[in-house]
Amino acid sequence: MANKSVSNTAGTNRSFIDRMGGQKFIVLILVIVMFIFFCAMSPGFRKYTTVVSILDYSYYIALMAIGVTFPLLTAGVDLSIGTGLICYSLIGGYLIVHQGWPVGAGMLVTVLMGVIFGVINGCLVALMDLPAFLATLCTCMITRGFGAFIVGGYGIPWPTATAPGGWFRSIFKIQVGGQNIPIGFLWIILLVIVMSFVLNHTKMGRYTRAIGSNKEATRLSGVNVKFYHIMAYVICGLFAGLAAIAYSAIFATVQPGSGAGFELDAIGGAIVGGVSMSGAVGSITGTLIGVFVICLLKTGLPFIGLTANWQQIITGFVLIAAVLFDILKRKKEEGR
Amino acid sequence: MNQNKASKQKMGGRKVESIKQIPLVKKVGFNRIVLCIVLLLMYALFCILTGGAFLGTRRILSALNYAYFLGFLSLAVTFVIATGGIDFSIGPVMFCCALMAGFSFTVNGIPMPAALIISLVVGIAFGIFNGYLVAYWNVPSFITSIASMNIAKGLASVFTKTQSVSWPQTGADGGWFRNIVTMGGIPMGLIILLVAAVICAVILNKTKMGRYILSLGSNKEAVRLSGVNVKKWEMSAYILCGLLVGIAAIFYVAAYTTVQPGYGDQYNNEAIAGCVMGGTSMAGGLASISGTIIGVFIISLLQEGIMALGLDKNLQLIITGIIVIVAVFADVVARRRKN
Amino acid sequence: MGEVILTMKGIDKSFPGVHALDHVDLEVRKGEVHALMGENGAGKSTLMKVLTGIYKKDSGTITYEGKEVEFHNTREAQDAGVVIVHQELNMLGHLTVAQNIFIGREFKKGIRIDDKKMNEEAKKLFDRMHIDIDPKETMSRLTVGKQQMCEIAKAISHKAKVIIFDEPSAALTEAEIEELFKIIRDLRDQGLGIVYISHRMDEIKVITDRVTVMRDGAYVGTLITKDSTKDDIINMMVGRVIYEDPKTQNMTPKGSPVVLKVDHLNAGKMVQDVSFELHKGEVLGFSGLMGAGRTETMRALFGADPIDSGDIYVNGKKVTIKSPEDAVKCGIGYLSEDRKRFGIVVQKTVAENTTMADLDEFCNGPFIDKKKECEVAQKFVESLATKTPGVDQLVVNLSGGNQQKVVIAKWLTRNCDILIFDEPTRGIDVGAKNEIYKLMNQLAAEGKAIIMVSSEMTEILRMSDRIVVMCEGKKTGELDISEATQENIMNMATREIN
Repeated sequence: MANKSVSNTAGTNRSFIDRMGGQKFIVLILVIVMFIFFCAMSPGFRKYTTVVSILDYSYYIALMAIGVTFPLLTAGVDLSIGTGLICYSLIGGYLIVHQGWPVGAGMLVTVLMGVIFGVINGCLVALMDLPAFLATLCTCMITRGFGAFIVGGYGIPWPTATAPGGWFRSIFKIQVGGQNIPIGFLWIILLVIVMSFVLNHTKMGRYTRAIGSNKEATRLSGVNVKFYHIMAYVICGLFAGLAAIAYSAIFATVQPGSGAGFELDAIGGAIVGGVSMSGAVGSITGTLIGVFVICLLKTGLPFIGLTANWQQIITGFVLIAAVLFDILKRKKEEGR
Repeated sequence: MNQNKASKQKMGGRKVESIKQIPLVKKVGFNRIVLCIVLLLMYALFCILTGGAFLGTRRILSALNYAYFLGFLSLAVTFVIATGGIDFSIGPVMFCCALMAGFSFTVNGIPMPAALIISLVVGIAFGIFNGYLVAYWNVPSFITSIASMNIAKGLASVFTKTQSVSWPQTGADGGWFRNIVTMGGIPMGLIILLVAAVICAVILNKTKMGRYILSLGSNKEAVRLSGVNVKKWEMSAYILCGLLVGIAAIFYVAAYTTVQPGYGDQYNNEAIAGCVMGGTSMAGGLASISGTIIGVFIISLLQEGIMALGLDKNLQLIITGIIVIVAVFADVVARRRKN
Repeated sequence: MGEVILTMKGIDKSFPGVHALDHVDLEVRKGEVHALMGENGAGKSTLMKVLTGIYKKDSGTITYEGKEVEFHNTREAQDAGVVIVHQELNMLGHLTVAQNIFIGREFKKGIRIDDKKMNEEAKKLFDRMHIDIDPKETMSRLTVGKQQMCEIAKAISHKAKVIIFDEPSAALTEAEIEELFKIIRDLRDQGLGIVYISHRMDEIKVITDRVTVMRDGAYVGTLITKDSTKDDIINMMVGRVIYEDPKTQNMTPKGSPVVLKVDHLNAGKMVQDVSFELHKGEVLGFSGLMGAGRTETMRALFGADPIDSGDIYVNGKKVTIKSPEDAVKCGIGYLSEDRKRFGIVVQKTVAENTTMADLDEFCNGPFIDKKKECEVAQKFVESLATKTPGVDQLVVNLSGGNQQKVVIAKWLTRNCDILIFDEPTRGIDVGAKNEIYKLMNQLAAEGKAIIMVSSEMTEILRMSDRIVVMCEGKKTGELDISEATQENIMNMATREIN
């Protein structure tokens, strides 16, 4: 009975940080401190274009992270989102560029591909009982091969902003008087609100958390555990599909074979934002804040003279630090 | 009453014997026999599909080149999976070893033996890093390995300033190291791989280390309560894994010369595929070195066959992905039936 | 007491090798608290599992509200109004109280879950029970007692007509038990039928109206609580006056040295200030109810769980035990109550398990001498009469008793002088039990010191030279076998003497 020892710390005497949202609050301060740090260290960082570029990076990572929060909450994981994103984007772009499909239809296919692979992942994990990390590692490789296979190994340039069909790029960025306005951020905020609602106020979200907390007890309560377990991966796939759109809208060309490592940014962001590897604990807003830690690293480090490669190393350590923090926190809660 | 008891015991005895037969046939022989047949059938199939072009030794040697480094990777990950863990940093770490050692040789001009040692040391260092976090801090092994995968990629890129590295050709200064693959027409690589496999099998089945690795993979708590320092032995599996990855790096460059930073993760799945196909259980505690080797040959032959048929090499990724899913699912079903 | 709401008649249930229930009867009326009593393994939980559809009965009838019924799973039973409040709580620690109570049947407003209404309904439930729990509090933050109240609230919310409490007080404090009793009385007064499973004699007297006693899977009888004495009930529970060879005197040789001394050991909540001594050649029994902290004491002593404070002396020398590794070096071996999880590696062979604790002895350098290993394993297979086709047999294929012998062999191989047997005969059939007992006596005669944790009274009285009794993490008594009786042990275990 792990809960016995927690019992005495009941409601009233929670710390200030806990009342402010716990880890989320600390990480928010971290984001602000990091921002100030980079501003102080580099004059180049103190520019409007930098803010835009941070946001540019944040869109697809944030979307992936929102999605992967659901499998993480069930105490699973989805490692296929990074290569999946590229795969879906390649297939959608291939239909638009090489098959002459309208952009809207191509985008729909992109998102749909995400959902399909979400269903596949969900079935592998929930119905076939494969370990989540292994099943999604396989779909990671499969999506990577599949995307490259479809396009024949060549990069796909989605239509540019000025080309016909380029309207989709203005979903995330519009130009007013020569200035880029990053309106994509509004979409992210909107989706965070929607998914927070789903997580906290619908059956879907409630059961996602319940599965992560105690799958067997949830099943015994008469919940269709398999369905909701699959749905967590479907949501993740859907958001990987949306992230694919964001990625295609921001970057000029999508390269087959890339995308490995994106999942680390997203999972790292979620865990830094307070999602527990052991399931059930975490929030969408926390995830979003965590994503900004990663994005600040991505855009900020080059300004202080460290290459993108350093960013990869540091993200690895940040992930381990966040997981260690989570483990120590749980140990403390269990008393010993 | 007494009679009753005796008959019950007899029944128990018979039950025990009947159970005994099944796993012996299934686990020891059956799996590997089937794998060998699959290997032969695949070879025959490729011969027919390529119209005989597959028959010569050229294709076989080329497939073997692939099998060497993959074999070491697969042996490496077998030890980690035997503990009930997983490591998918092995591919990128292998590249990291090859890049750092190669860069030291070509740019910094250190002698070849030192470069080879660097490769091993880098591999072992990553093994220690992964093992320490998993064994002493209880970090889930897949998290440690995705982190170290990215660290390995980043480190290699930083070290080489994102340049690819070409190891010396045969005949060139330091090119003697290629003798480990072929020496005077003898496929040294195959001999070394098989010797290494025998050593690994001995370690796994005949030594204290192997005994503890398999036992703790099966029931870590029971082993701990037997007074065994499980943390030490769990970490040792990761260190051995790192060493074998370092060796794999040498075989990779001996066969393919050039390595590029930022890659290597496609080999994770192939190594794990070889391992799980060979009958090593993802749940830990059950591992077969000979199975792993046959599994590696199947994957290598598949790769060569896809090339020979002029198919898209991306098919390889898809097929190995599906192989792993099927192999692991078979393992899950087998375990479910046992319970 | 009202009309009969539930009748179970002639319930029979067998598992392979065990006749778990032998034509058991039970009758529950509306508005009564009916105690179901018996020693561990008497079949109380099995009977309730048959009732709620977890097990299928072999024969017999269940009549509920005048109709013959058979529930196929807990959910069917719940929907009909028969609800069980488990000893082990089935809860989702990360969700709130109200979310737990209504999991799987949430109130909804469109697609939105109506948490406000759920909180209100939960509040109403708690008001009805006259307890104060915030429905919005996270479950894991509550005390175990409050969590139990939430389980009860969940049961009531199912519109239960019969509620079964399976040892509800096992983990509760005095004050929480008071609160629990108040709620149970309320429920009784509202006309519900309550089945109350417990070991604690004093509770039975306080809360129940009638008592049904079971022994060895059979129905013994039903009494009206207020018309019967505690001794009546204990006599019915124990039944046999003569045990199978009970020890009548301490068999430890006079003046045999103290090999293990535990001084003021503290480890978490379940081990508070425990001290005792163990002599060479002695069997020291540890008695107490479930959750009394006996296993926790042994695990702390063995280094499996961290110690907060206290000293341990082995052969008069103070030792530091921080891990099982240290304990084994001191010559202590531990045989866990849960063999499959903590005792053996089931996927390994008899020989491999036998040498697990002492592999260094079987190694030439890094290599294992398999011949020597097999010889030693074979020797123990013969001396312990382990039934196995061979030492290369996987342990998973052996029966419980023989698995236990493999664990014993493991510690004998290591030559441990102090052996801790935690529930040595749990899950072992009668014939094999006797063999294990004989073996333990033989080991003690050879000069090993043995600690035996057991929940079976007969086992304690049959095997022990001295008996330590624990209750709620504290040592509540120590008896020589010559002065020990069921009654005084039971008294100490239920804290009547303190």
